[in-house]
Amino acid sequence: MPAIFSTLFVIAEIAFRNLFASKWKTLIVGGIIGFGAFLVVVGTSIVDGVDRAMRRSVTGSLSGHIQVYSSQSKGDLELMGSMGGGPMDVEPLASFEKVKEALLSVPNVAAVVPMGVDTAIVSSGNTVDQALSNLRTTINAIEHGDTTAELTRKYEAQKAHVRQMVSLLSHEMDNAKLVSEKGLQEDDAEALKRASSDEFWTSFDADRYDHLELLENKIASLASDADMLQLRYVGTDPQAFAKSFDRMEVVDGELIPQGKRGFMFSKYMYEEMVKLKTARGLDKIKQAMDDRKERIDQTPELKRIVRENRTGVRELILQLDALRTEGFRKKLQGLLHSDEADLTKLLARFFDTDDNNFRERYDFFYRELAPQLELYRIRIGDSLMIKTFTKSGYVQSANLKVYGTYHFKGLERSPQAGAINMMDMVSFRELYGFMTTERAQEIAAIRAAAGAKEVSRENAESELFGAKPATEEAAAAAPSEAVDPLAHLRGTREQREKSEAAFDPAELQQGVVLSAAILVEDESRIAETLHAIEAMGKERNLPLKAITWQQASGLIGQFATLMRAVLYATVLIIFVVALVVINNALVMATLERVREFGTLRAVGAQRRFILAMLVLESVVIGVSSGAVGALIGISLLVWLGRVGIPAVTLELSFFFSGPRLFPSVTPEQVMFSFVTVLIVSIISSIYPAWLAMRVSPREAMSAED
Amino acid sequence: MSALIADLRISFMNLVEHGRRSTFLGAAIASVTCLFVLLTALSSGIRHTLLDTATTLTTGHLNVGGFFKVTSGAAGPLVTDYARIEELVRKDLPELDFIVHRGRGFGKLISDRGSTQAGISGVDIVNEPRLRTVLDVFEGNLDELAQPNTIVLFEQQAKRLDVKVGDAITISATTGRGVANTLDCRVVALARDVGLLSSFNVIVSAESLRILYQLRPDVTGVIQVYVKPRFVEKLAPVAAHLREILEKGGYRLMEPDPRAFWFKFQTVSREDWTGQKLDVTSWEDELSFIMWTYRALQALSFILMVILIGIMVAGIMNTLWIAIRERTREIGTLRAIGMQKFGVARLFLLEASMLGVIGALVGVALGAVVTWLINSANIHVPTSVQLFLMRDTLRLWLEPATLVFSVVMISFVTGAAAIYPSIRAASRKPVDAMAHFG
Repeated sequence: MPAIFSTLFVIAEIAFRNLFASKWKTLIVGGIIGFGAFLVVVGTSIVDGVDRAMRRSVTGSLSGHIQVYSSQSKGDLELMGSMGGGPMDVEPLASFEKVKEALLSVPNVAAVVPMGVDTAIVSSGNTVDQALSNLRTTINAIEHGDTTAELTRKYEAQKAHVRQMVSLLSHEMDNAKLVSEKGLQEDDAEALKRASSDEFWTSFDADRYDHLELLENKIASLASDADMLQLRYVGTDPQAFAKSFDRMEVVDGELIPQGKRGFMFSKYMYEEMVKLKTARGLDKIKQAMDDRKERIDQTPELKRIVRENRTGVRELILQLDALRTEGFRKKLQGLLHSDEADLTKLLARFFDTDDNNFRERYDFFYRELAPQLELYRIRIGDSLMIKTFTKSGYVQSANLKVYGTYHFKGLERSPQAGAINMMDMVSFRELYGFMTTERAQEIAAIRAAAGAKEVSRENAESELFGAKPATEEAAAAAPSEAVDPLAHLRGTREQREKSEAAFDPAELQQGVVLSAAILVEDESRIAETLHAIEAMGKERNLPLKAITWQQASGLIGQFATLMRAVLYATVLIIFVVALVVINNALVMATLERVREFGTLRAVGAQRRFILAMLVLESVVIGVSSGAVGALIGISLLVWLGRVGIPAVTLELSFFFSGPRLFPSVTPEQVMFSFVTVLIVSIISSIYPAWLAMRVSPREAMSAED
Repeated sequence: MSALIADLRISFMNLVEHGRRSTFLGAAIASVTCLFVLLTALSSGIRHTLLDTATTLTTGHLNVGGFFKVTSGAAGPLVTDYARIEELVRKDLPELDFIVHRGRGFGKLISDRGSTQAGISGVDIVNEPRLRTVLDVFEGNLDELAQPNTIVLFEQQAKRLDVKVGDAITISATTGRGVANTLDCRVVALARDVGLLSSFNVIVSAESLRILYQLRPDVTGVIQVYVKPRFVEKLAPVAAHLREILEKGGYRLMEPDPRAFWFKFQTVSREDWTGQKLDVTSWEDELSFIMWTYRALQALSFILMVILIGIMVAGIMNTLWIAIRERTREIGTLRAIGMQKFGVARLFLLEASMLGVIGALVGVALGAVVTWLINSANIHVPTSVQLFLMRDTLRLWLEPATLVFSVVMISFVTGAAAIYPSIRAASRKPVDAMAHFG
């Protein structure tokens, strides 16, 4: 025993001495290995940090830890949207109540939230609609006997405003003939002619509601300056959602009350899509200046926003009636020291901001102008018409009250987390083309009223689908869609009433859902729980498929995996090249020392001794420089862990689960880097050591140089 | 001249003499070169895939698109009286190869058994010289696209919709006024997927799209301009020329904005004008929403290459130091028999550069072979990687310029790394050098 120790001691002593004997070799080999260790420590810890942050983002914002959906589905569940942008091909789960009860019996399941995700086309409401809605409010007050001078003046101004819009519209309508085969449809043209006639406006006061109806029903739809928004939404049980996803916060308004139909915007979408574009532009510039210290004159994106703000003032001007136009003109003339009378030009000059005047203009806008404007095309409390295509292609629509907006704490600015809006599950089912109790009753009533048509419609259905409705579900879904065209015929007032309609909370629990989000008690046991759920499904004969949050979030969920793959590939490539270079350096060093090895052999050292000595030498270089590299890496990470890595783009804030990522180092990461470094140094020393081993004392001693 | 040849010979002999050392260092240089070639081939593979698929499916090399606004609030991606614009371009743009026009739409496709969403291109197949050669139709006949109410699907979509040639598909689209229109189409052909972009796109006859959106016959969505091959990499001046031609023709143009046309709706519908405005974009503009993956890969390759070249330079300097130490006596002898400092430095520089050139050449050859192997292996990649590659198999693309550049760059770096050690070697005094022992 002591003999081996003393040999080892000698080997170690020689190895350490040699470290300093050939400084160049040590420096280069050590430098490369140290850099490698640094890269491994910093890289893995950042990737792990992103992985953790993403888990928080995804599980906390939509998917929960596990998603459960029907195992009979043809496609995958893709909560964050699929690559092709098409709808998911997922079969529904028949009764949520039954599924929930079954899932809650599985150990580690803490909460189950019903879900369905779909995309709808929503009109953001147009400026004519807005002006008419203001006019309607004023007319209501007048009809209720309010005749103050203030109100009369407001009424006249609003009337003039609408009239001006109509006359503008009738000029513009000539353009339609240039693109459209038919130009304007006859009754539309008729309505437009009537609404722009003097007679219409002189007789307006005689029957205010009648005139208003014509404008609302016929003219507003012609204006068509509404944006068609593609909104992604989750149909769910709002109460359960808010309770289970504790990062969710209501920003404006309130949560959709229990048992009510309703819609909530994500705050991000509400700002991005519904807000007055010029105001949104100002917000974005301010954010970029405050958060990212960008300057308008250096950032093409900000320059573009300024240009768009300058040219996009029409949306703002259309909101103004004569009174407010005058007010705006005076304010802007004062601010800009100008006697320009044209408000369009004044506003264009106002929005032509640069780095010097931006903050002043921003404050002025929100202090002086914004209070007089409707900043959002859809206000909280308004009702929103949502149109969807059901799976078989029919258009379904529903009018829902907008209860408010919400965001997820820490993910306020993330487009990914903000992409999803919310509605109650009952409305979701209706829009998705599922049967609801209310629908069934409605259909029964319509059938009773139009009994004669029923047969022919049934025939049309079976012809269209090529077969008789075989399953219960197809039979249930088909008529509900067939009825849809009638929904358009119903008056707007009726729809408005329906939009606030209540339903029995039990209905929400009983009906179909597309998937269920599960929150677990112990995150480390997710894999185990997945198996338990599928086993339970088999046992109870429920078609359940359980997937992790990573799978449910599709490509976004794979981001961390992709990053890890890129990191490992990079490290691998670097180490392979480093191996060659290090090997080369060691071979050089070895050849230089041929005489030394010969001498050692001559004084009785075994070949194995030489081998051990050289391998140990590289291991010592590897480990010591690896330690230096890792230490530098660790100190960098400790510093980063304190100040955080800023998310330079809005998209990154989702992957960082907040505005900054705080990476941390774990012993595993350091161990990993040490093991890697050790392997590299041993492999790279094998060939040179083997060369040295073969040196015979005689040839070494006789070597001249 | 003869001196140079002599030096070259000496350098070469030295390399051969220290065969093992040269081999190792050469191998390091070759592997870095090979990696550089492969990384460049990967990103140009992506670029070419994009260029090929996109210019078949969604964009020309340059596009004359734009918006027509009936009211100042409603913008449609339309070009009116397109025949006149085509005539102008044909007459005045010498770089032009050919022109096609396409309708632009977006909607939902519904079959009996499935549905999907896609961009819809309205194609006038009779006047499409390129589409025919690029689309790999494996079922049905592309020529039938000349008839109205016809549609061509890609493999993936057909699978999703579960349809075959001859089946009917309903297209449902929302017009600018929020009215949903539907159109029944017959599937006339199925084509193999052309990269990822084909999952967002279907092709219908131009006539079908006009019916769907109730458009006049002289209205189209975009005029796609294809330039002659030698101008493909130099599009900016051609685009400028095209703008000039259109402006001279009396058209109003939109300000250049490097984004795909559907990102511009919101901006355009808020501007205060009506009627027609044209927009000239390049294929890269229309694809800006996916080009970021290409740029990310380029940035990553760049960082990786800087690190690798750093390691390589360290290796070269290390080896040279040792070589110089070994050959101190030789240097001393050379200096003693009258060789100038400069000559000695040149000798070492030549040696390193020669090694660099040989290493780089081997690396480039190796890279070319690996590229060929990878391309012929048809390797399928997972979905997350497909997002970067824009296709389901790995394809690399070697350009001669890359090969030349790699050799020059790597040789230059090797040479540069040798400068300092060489000068140090040359500046030793002959006496010291001669006296050096071992």
